Amino acid sequence: MSNQPDRSDLRNLQDKTAIVGVGTTEFGAIYRDLDPERSAYELGLIAFREALKDAGLKRTDVDGVIVSRLPHYGRMCEMIGLRHPRFVNVLPGEGRQSGIALQYAALAVANGMADVVACIYGNNGRSAGAKYGGESRGISTQAMFEAPYGMTSPGAVTSMMFRRHQYRYGTTTEPLGHLAISNRANAALNPNAVMQRPITMDDYQSARFIAEPLCLLDYCLINDGGVCFIVTSAERARDLNHTPVLIHATSQASDITPVYVADDFWHEPMSQIADDLFAISEAQREDLAFAQLYDNFTPTMLFTLEGMGFCEPGEGGDWITSERIGLRGELPLNTGGGHTSESYMQGWALHVEAVRQLRQECGERQVDDAQYGLYACAAPLATGHILRRGD
Amino acid sequence: MTTESPTPELSYEKPLPPVLELTKPFWDGCREGILQIQFCNICDLPWFPPAEACPRCLQDDWEWRPISGHGTVWSWIRMWQRYFPGWSPEEYPYTVALIKLEEGPYMYSTLVDIEDQDVSCDLAVEVDFRKVNDEITLPVFRPRSA
Repeated sequence: MSNQPDRSDLRNLQDKTAIVGVGTTEFGAIYRDLDPERSAYELGLIAFREALKDAGLKRTDVDGVIVSRLPHYGRMCEMIGLRHPRFVNVLPGEGRQSGIALQYAALAVANGMADVVACIYGNNGRSAGAKYGGESRGISTQAMFEAPYGMTSPGAVTSMMFRRHQYRYGTTTEPLGHLAISNRANAALNPNAVMQRPITMDDYQSARFIAEPLCLLDYCLINDGGVCFIVTSAERARDLNHTPVLIHATSQASDITPVYVADDFWHEPMSQIADDLFAISEAQREDLAFAQLYDNFTPTMLFTLEGMGFCEPGEGGDWITSERIGLRGELPLNTGGGHTSESYMQGWALHVEAVRQLRQECGERQVDDAQYGLYACAAPLATGHILRRGD
Repeated sequence: MTTESPTPELSYEKPLPPVLELTKPFWDGCREGILQIQFCNICDLPWFPPAEACPRCLQDDWEWRPISGHGTVWSWIRMWQRYFPGWSPEEYPYTVALIKLEEGPYMYSTLVDIEDQDVSCDLAVEVDFRKVNDEITLPVFRPRSA
C-alpha cells in the first residue's frame, strides 16, 4: 500500500460554496424531435439561460465557465458574451466528469479564482447518431486489442463486472430489475423525463439482451439535452432567489486500470469516498433523504451501494428492494428517473435533481425532510458529494 | 498451434488491429504461435497492453518475453447488439471473455472449443491462435487440458 495521505483537509471546502441556479432543456420534448443540426452548444446555452433565471443572476455576474462534452470553452464564452472570464476549464464528455465539474467550481470559488462559475453541459448524441459502441478507429487499446474480438461499449464492460458479481456472490438480475422499475416509476412523476410509461418485472425480464447478462432496460437512454448549474460562495448565495444548496462534503477517488473493470467492483475508491464524506459531515447514511447514483447501467448503482457501505460487499442484491429504494423508502434512489428513464445527461441531471429535491420543488416525487442528499458515481474515476439544504 | 479461421481472408470484415512499431513484436509472436508481453528488465514487472515504459520504473529498458499462455476467465459476456459489421447474423450472440493471465495482466479475447453453457468465471484456460491473414493472427483461449 502507498502512504495514506491526510484527507482531513477536505473539510476546508465544507459549506463554503453553493449551487444557486440550475437549468435543463426539455428532455422529453426534444427526444421526440430529432434534429441533425442541433448543436451541443445550443443545448448548453438553453440550460445556461434557465440556470441564470433560476438563480436570479445576470449574465454579467458570471466570471467562470466549465464546459463538459462541449469541445471548447471559447465557443461557449462567445455564445454567452463572456469576453473576460477569470476561470475556465474543459472536461471530456464522460459521466464521471459531472461531479468533477462541481468540484472544480467549488475549488475555484472557495479559493477566490472566480465569484460565479457556470458549469455547462451539452449533449446532441441522439441527433448525431451516437451509439456508444462499435468504434475501432485510430491506435487506441480498444482498436488494437478489444475490437478484433467484437469487444466494445461501456455497457459490455459493466456487464463483465456484473457477471463476475453474479459468480462471486450469487447475485441475480432481479435487483437490477427493481432499480430499472424504480427509476421508471420516478420518471413517471417527472414531467421532464423522456420515458414515463411504468414498467414491470415482466417487461424487464423479457427485454432484449444487449451485452448479456445486461438487457435494454439496464441501459441508459441516448437523448439530447443540456444542463447547467451555477456555483457561487455560500455567502453570496444567501442573497439570491432560492434556498442555497451547499456543497457540504465532496471527495474523489480512483482505480485506473487498462481494462476498466475492477476486481472489487470499485469497493476501494467508493469506500474511500464514503469514509471522507461521513468523516466531514455530521450527517450519516441514515440522515440522507435520497441518493442520486450514477446509473449508466443498473449494476453501477449496485456497486455504489455496496462500495459506500449501505450494505456489505455482495449483499447489494438482497438489499435492493422496491420498498427500500422507492420515494417513501429508507433510501430513495434516482428520484427523477435517472439515466435509464429521465435523461442521459452523464450525471449532470442527477445533480439538478438533487438540488431540486433539497429545494423541495419536486411536486409528486418530492421526498420527505430533504436536508441532506447524496450524489455518487462509481467508475475508474469516482466522485461523491453530500449536498445540504442551506437554511 | 495455428488454425486457419473458417472465414476466407478476402471476406474478413471484422475490425483488424493496426500494427504499430510498439506492438509489432506481439503480432509477430502470435503468428509463430507464441504469446508474449513486455517485461521490465529492471524490476521484472510484466504489463499489457503494450506501453512505452515500465509503469513502475518508468524506464524503457524492457523486452518481449513469452508467457505461459495460461490464465482464467475473469468474466465473459454474450454480445447481442450489432455494433460492428463483420459478424454474420448466425454468429450472434458471440462470446467475449476477459482473461486474467497467470502473469497478472488482463487481456480481452474470445473462447474456443467450449459451449457457452459450460463457461464459468475462473475457468482455467490456455492460449490458442486463429490466423486471420498474413499479418494478423489473433490469440484466443480454450479450456486448459488437465
